[in-house]
Amino acid sequence: MRVKVKPLSCTGCALCETACGFHWDEAFSLISSSILLYRAEEKKNYMGVIVKTDEDLFIGRPEGAQELKLGEVHKQGAGGGASAKPILIREACDMCESAGVEPQCVAICPHGALYLE
Amino acid sequence: MDTMYYGDILVVDLDSGKTGQVEFERQMLEQSGPGLASGMALLREHVEGEPLVLGSGLLTGTTAPASCLGFALGASPVTGEPAVAPLSQYAGSEMKLSGFSMVVIKGKSAKPVYLWLHDGVADIVDASKLAGKDTWETTDAIRSDMGEHLIQVISTGPAGESGSRLASFSINYWGSGDTAGLGAVMGEKNLKAVALRGLGMLDAEEPLEFYHGTLELLSGSPAEKGFKATCAAVKAYDIDGWLKPLVHRYRSCFACPHACNTFVKYNEDHGVIDSTGVEEPGLLITGAAAPLWLQRGGWEVEPACRALEALCREGMDVVRGARELAGTPLNDAAEIRAAVKGLGGTEDAGWPADNDISYTGLFGPWVPPLSEEDGWVEANRAGYVLGICPAYILLSGIDVSRLFELCSPAAGIELDAGRIAEMFA
Repeated sequence: MRVKVKPLSCTGCALCETACGFHWDEAFSLISSSILLYRAEEKKNYMGVIVKTDEDLFIGRPEGAQELKLGEVHKQGAGGGASAKPILIREACDMCESAGVEPQCVAICPHGALYLE
Repeated sequence: MDTMYYGDILVVDLDSGKTGQVEFERQMLEQSGPGLASGMALLREHVEGEPLVLGSGLLTGTTAPASCLGFALGASPVTGEPAVAPLSQYAGSEMKLSGFSMVVIKGKSAKPVYLWLHDGVADIVDASKLAGKDTWETTDAIRSDMGEHLIQVISTGPAGESGSRLASFSINYWGSGDTAGLGAVMGEKNLKAVALRGLGMLDAEEPLEFYHGTLELLSGSPAEKGFKATCAAVKAYDIDGWLKPLVHRYRSCFACPHACNTFVKYNEDHGVIDSTGVEEPGLLITGAAAPLWLQRGGWEVEPACRALEALCREGMDVVRGARELAGTPLNDAAEIRAAVKGLGGTEDAGWPADNDISYTGLFGPWVPPLSEEDGWVEANRAGYVLGICPAYILLSGIDVSRLFELCSPAAGIELDAGRIAEMFA
């Protein structure tokens, strides 16, 4: 079971990022989450969602989803684009098990863009 | 005690080119009130410097629904009175996380500058090379210079630099709800832009109680897309249907379940979803009033969107600009750009709706007339104090008292409608 993304359902609200950041820090920020809203190509309205696990990145691009082993990320240029704290150096998703709750990113998404599979 | 704010009050003196910081004391939150209420206190305190005050609400930048809202506050050159304009999209949340709780910008710079706020550091940067640039060029240049594409750029365009009555600051490329001419205030100050990047962290007084309270509110919130609900509520034409042949995707402001912002593509097929196409495929429409004015005036949808882009690029109020353009539909892109440059600001802001209200005082028609005037004013006041989009408050039907209940676990502050009314007395 892992968090997956339906990128075309995403509206870019970043509630997933914010909830994930809260899971790790019990505070609100956009630099701690294991899930990252890619929004660096604003003029093209191109956005997607990236989830980091211990083993790979689930990359939810609008044109299709991809699972990429961590060692392959640099070759593919899929590190999340401009970010003050690249996703590769963030905590891996623990499915919120450390807090004993369901994955908060999935629970909080208003448009059903995240799901478990 | 934690206050859900991060950092000091920044005071920028453009006359001298110096900045200073003042502690954002809990006393100010309790006495003046959070968000816009603190902003108004700072506006009065620094009135001799004809300040522009930027800030955010108590809940901005959290998981509270629609907690996207920051504000810009200054004396409107349109009305001569204090007026507020929204920092929506991601600008409000980046403001909240920038490392400054509030920002007071006084005086006038001798040369064009922009203010770069990040990690609690404020830099006044020479913007001579940006003079005369439009808002798209300015946003691109600042992001390129800083090597960071998530920077939020609040800029003034050629309209603001020339003191046009239509001047309106733009948030990145997409215009804003500044119907009060605060873009001209920036131009008068030789302040080309304020660039924000928020890497801070907001601590709540009772974090788990606050967080679970926001989840309860979100779980009962409608999640809609586009302007359909707005148009229905103001008894206006369904602008979504008119825009549909160009719609690419809908976008939310930060933390908002209602993705009303509508991205339209007219320089490439609207169905293109990858990023390999043209660099500037279209426009993010962030409010329904401007396209409604053009549709009612007989414009075709594609040239209407090009007109909105031209207004955003010039740094003009899209609502008043569209209203002025409405009566003379155009098709040719060059003619549209020329017509936009020739606008004189002869129309008032407002909605092409039968139930429109009068817009006097602090708040402009960025928020649609989704209720009677008293309720509309109350939603604006609560929204700008809390940092919650007032349009979301009115559209969602959320019980505002439940938002007030979040203030205690957020910052140990008790708020209710009566207390909010006192702040604006």
